Amino acid sequence: MKATHKHLMAGAAALALLAPGAGQAAPDAYMIGLSVDITGPSAPDSGPTADALRIYFDRVNAQGGINGKPVKIEVRDNQSQPARAGADAKSFASDENVILIINSALSSTYEPVMTEGRRAGVPVLFAGGVCPKEVFPPADPLMFCTSSYAAEKDTEFAANYIHEASGGKAILGTISTAIPLSRAGIEHGISVAEKKGIKVVAHETIPPPTPNYAPFATKLKETKMDWGLTWGPWIVQIRIFEALRQLGWDGKLMAYGHLISEDEMLRLKDPGLLLFRTSSMFSDGQPIHKEVMAAAEGKTKFPTTYMSEGWVAGQAIEAALKKVAWPPTRAKMQEAMNDVTIDTKGLRGQPIVWTKTNHFRTESAYRVYAWSKDDNKPKAIKDWVKVEIK
Amino acid sequence: MAQASGYFKTSYGQELRLIETTTQKVALAAFVVVLLVYPFFAKPFFLDLANQVFLAVIAASALMLLTGFAGQISLGHAGLLAAGAFTTGILYKEVGAPFWVTLPASAVVGALLGLVFGLPSLRLKGLYLAVTTLALHFIVAYAGGEYETKRGYSTGVSVSPPSLFGFELTQGRHWYFVLLAFDVLVVLFCLNLVRSRTGRSFIAIRDHDTVAEALGIPVKRTKLLAFVISSVLTTLTGSLLAYYQGFVTIQAFTIYLTIEYVAMVIIGGSGSMLGAILGAVFVVLFPHVIEAAIRLVPASRHLVNDAFAINFAAFGLIMVLFLIFEPLGLVGIWRRLRDYFLLWPFRQTAVGKGG
Amino acid sequence: MQVLANLVVLTAIYALISCGYVLIYRVSRVLNLAHGELMMLGAYLLFTLASLFKGGPELAFAGAVGLSLLVGFVLYVVLMRKMTGELVIAAVLVTIALGILLRGLMVLIWTARDLHPISVLGWKNPPVPLGGGTSISSVALATILVAVVLYLALMLFFRYTRWGLQMRAVGERPLLAAQRGIKLHAVYALAWALSTFSGGLAGMLLALDSGLGSTMVIVGLKAFPAALVGGLDSLLGAVVGSFIVAAAEILAIHFIDPLISDVVPFVVLIAMLLVRPWGLFGTKEEIERV
Repeated sequence: MKATHKHLMAGAAALALLAPGAGQAAPDAYMIGLSVDITGPSAPDSGPTADALRIYFDRVNAQGGINGKPVKIEVRDNQSQPARAGADAKSFASDENVILIINSALSSTYEPVMTEGRRAGVPVLFAGGVCPKEVFPPADPLMFCTSSYAAEKDTEFAANYIHEASGGKAILGTISTAIPLSRAGIEHGISVAEKKGIKVVAHETIPPPTPNYAPFATKLKETKMDWGLTWGPWIVQIRIFEALRQLGWDGKLMAYGHLISEDEMLRLKDPGLLLFRTSSMFSDGQPIHKEVMAAAEGKTKFPTTYMSEGWVAGQAIEAALKKVAWPPTRAKMQEAMNDVTIDTKGLRGQPIVWTKTNHFRTESAYRVYAWSKDDNKPKAIKDWVKVEIK
Repeated sequence: MAQASGYFKTSYGQELRLIETTTQKVALAAFVVVLLVYPFFAKPFFLDLANQVFLAVIAASALMLLTGFAGQISLGHAGLLAAGAFTTGILYKEVGAPFWVTLPASAVVGALLGLVFGLPSLRLKGLYLAVTTLALHFIVAYAGGEYETKRGYSTGVSVSPPSLFGFELTQGRHWYFVLLAFDVLVVLFCLNLVRSRTGRSFIAIRDHDTVAEALGIPVKRTKLLAFVISSVLTTLTGSLLAYYQGFVTIQAFTIYLTIEYVAMVIIGGSGSMLGAILGAVFVVLFPHVIEAAIRLVPASRHLVNDAFAINFAAFGLIMVLFLIFEPLGLVGIWRRLRDYFLLWPFRQTAVGKGG
Repeated sequence: MQVLANLVVLTAIYALISCGYVLIYRVSRVLNLAHGELMMLGAYLLFTLASLFKGGPELAFAGAVGLSLLVGFVLYVVLMRKMTGELVIAAVLVTIALGILLRGLMVLIWTARDLHPISVLGWKNPPVPLGGGTSISSVALATILVAVVLYLALMLFFRYTRWGLQMRAVGERPLLAAQRGIKLHAVYALAWALSTFSGGLAGMLLALDSGLGSTMVIVGLKAFPAALVGGLDSLLGAVVGSFIVAAAEILAIHFIDPLISDVVPFVVLIAMLLVRPWGLFGTKEEIERV
């Protein structure tokens, strides 16, 4: 075994390279760690969130920071791999100055990050990915979430809306993606719809990497459904819709309105595609929308309408940090987050209110958007419906 | 580095030794000391990296046995890891089975899967075989996803830390020693295996199976054996991984994970246990090293997303470069370095090229 | 009826993709596992050219197809040429590594988000009625036509042209072919160029029909059983294999459970490998058997 020397050398070299920040002095800034999927499967959603956070705090810092101190975000790419996310979290946690860890990736990365957060007593904020059950009441003291979507709450709203809009006469077909979370969300939606007396004629689960959606659409169309409900990754939601339209299906499809959906609505211009979401659309043209678009212009490779999730996370962090007196600690940060009202300035239908036991939001509001031919832009066809979260 | 250049083997016994010279003995002892002391000085992050390396070493050794020694290509490695992790997760969730049950159970599942997916290797070679093992991946992924959904564990199956002798394994440092012990056992086992009759049969089959058959090696049985041993080690890693991470989800086991393990074998150096270890170290640490390097570059913040994409591409590029310019991998580089110092001031030239 | 139309479309898609596997395998025995990424690259090239030549979608399309051809040629000259004479498996591993490299570069240049080249080109994709309430999308119809033309052209090319003959010769006995004065590297480079050309076409058509995103890599991988079922070194086999796999998948979606459509191609494949490992139309001697 001639391994030994090499081992030593490799080990030493790795250590030397890996410990650049070894002699860390207390920095003169609020330190935040961000573990995000930039090159992995959820990159289309997480990438813009990382960009938005960067743009948001660059602006905050340029205006003098928070309480006179700048905010510094350290970014690591976890590729939605649990092991990488866990290592990121450990690295952040081992730096005493980091007072918050943000995670934005597939839900498979949540568990290791939460474990590390609990071990080291660092608050964890989930932004842009689906909210874990730990943030709902009774919330884990350290876990928080600003993401706009939450599987079962969403499909429950959607099922109720379908019942209302169709006068209870909908013949409903449901479509989920072959990932456990999406299937669970849709199954909940089905049970809500059936309780209301809606006839559910189909539940198709589609594996995402499929070259042609026509066979799935054919089967759905044969059920004579006139309403569809889908909740899952955007790609499956939209491709099944387009495939159904190709076959001449003229019903309405309720789909969750991810970041990307506004852009897609402009592309499709189809009034039968109903997007339910808790974020407002940039086409509303409120001051905040213009502000975000102006700030992000030229600073990201993504369309500026993708910035919404990251921007809200930025607002949440800023609101909490304002209450964290210098010098910051993890405990202070946690305390601040435990009781904060985040003014989303219209990016969401409601301010986000976190209490000791509810780290999702005490009240959520959904809107349904559809393409309006008259105005030539997406328009809310159902204004904010408040949903209490208990 | 002064390994006597005049050291020649004079008996078969020497040929079989693991430790050949005093220098090696000293170096190994020093390495062991470093390994034992490391967890008392390392930060949790570095401890975690070490643990990840240890886990990777077991599974990389498994793949090295199968691909590097027995010459059977497998693209089902992530599937096997998932099978081990899910066996553990399911047994824990459904019947509350302890560590001492789940670990052997995972091994049994591994043996069965190895047997089943080793069967095509009796008829197929090379690429055709690789594709059947790819099928294993998709089937396990399907089954795992079904379990998660049907039982309502949509964000993953959580697994509590195992207890060994009434002692809960939660801290990174404790894990470090447990995994280190596993590594030592597995590496010794593999080293001994490849020096044994079975291991030599593996190599014979890899190099020329017809000749191997003619020499009286039971090719079919040996191939199956290689599959079974490799699968058992891999599912064991999967089981440990489930406990170490505290949860299991099918989304963690992608084709990309398989590629990472294949990369470990290539970059480390095919056909060498040292290669498996070096490959595991390299592939696990590489992205972190690059990220650390990126952070050192001032003004990199605005390019941060680009930097990660570059990181990803760099991984592919390094693999390409290794395959083209250094097919022997890190082991090859190491050997050349060693020989350079060993033979200094003489220069080594390849046989047939010397002038 | 609609089911039948879907079947033809899916067969055409798989045939277009698996053609690329067959072309390279046939002459060099190398399996190109970066084929999915190369398909994606073709589609991304189309997207970029479409953004550049706003007025001329046809020009953009032709340009992207031409570039795809060039990509294969360059890849061979720069990269794969170094692997000739090495173990075949080493060459396959190079293609895996190449795939990772390409994916990183594509995220770097185009980000990971979904793109829609068709809207940039300004084309439409209306359904084409086939009678009896059956319809397929225009791009799907184009895919079928392209697949038919491409396969016919390739078969004629292999049968009647000098280069085609040379490619067949190299595929059968590289050593003898080289001794007869056939330039091996030129033939291999041509095979690579044709493969990325057909793969790029497949990628572009897929992207035109349903958008361009990172799942295309896996779609590329899924077409792979089709090539194997038919026999990796036979073009006719690729078509038949595509048909069988597509049929199995569609039957599974329609009559069993859509969820297993992911697994079905591989089940068909294993069944085939156990019965006729060299595939339906493959050459029996070709496969290395124990």
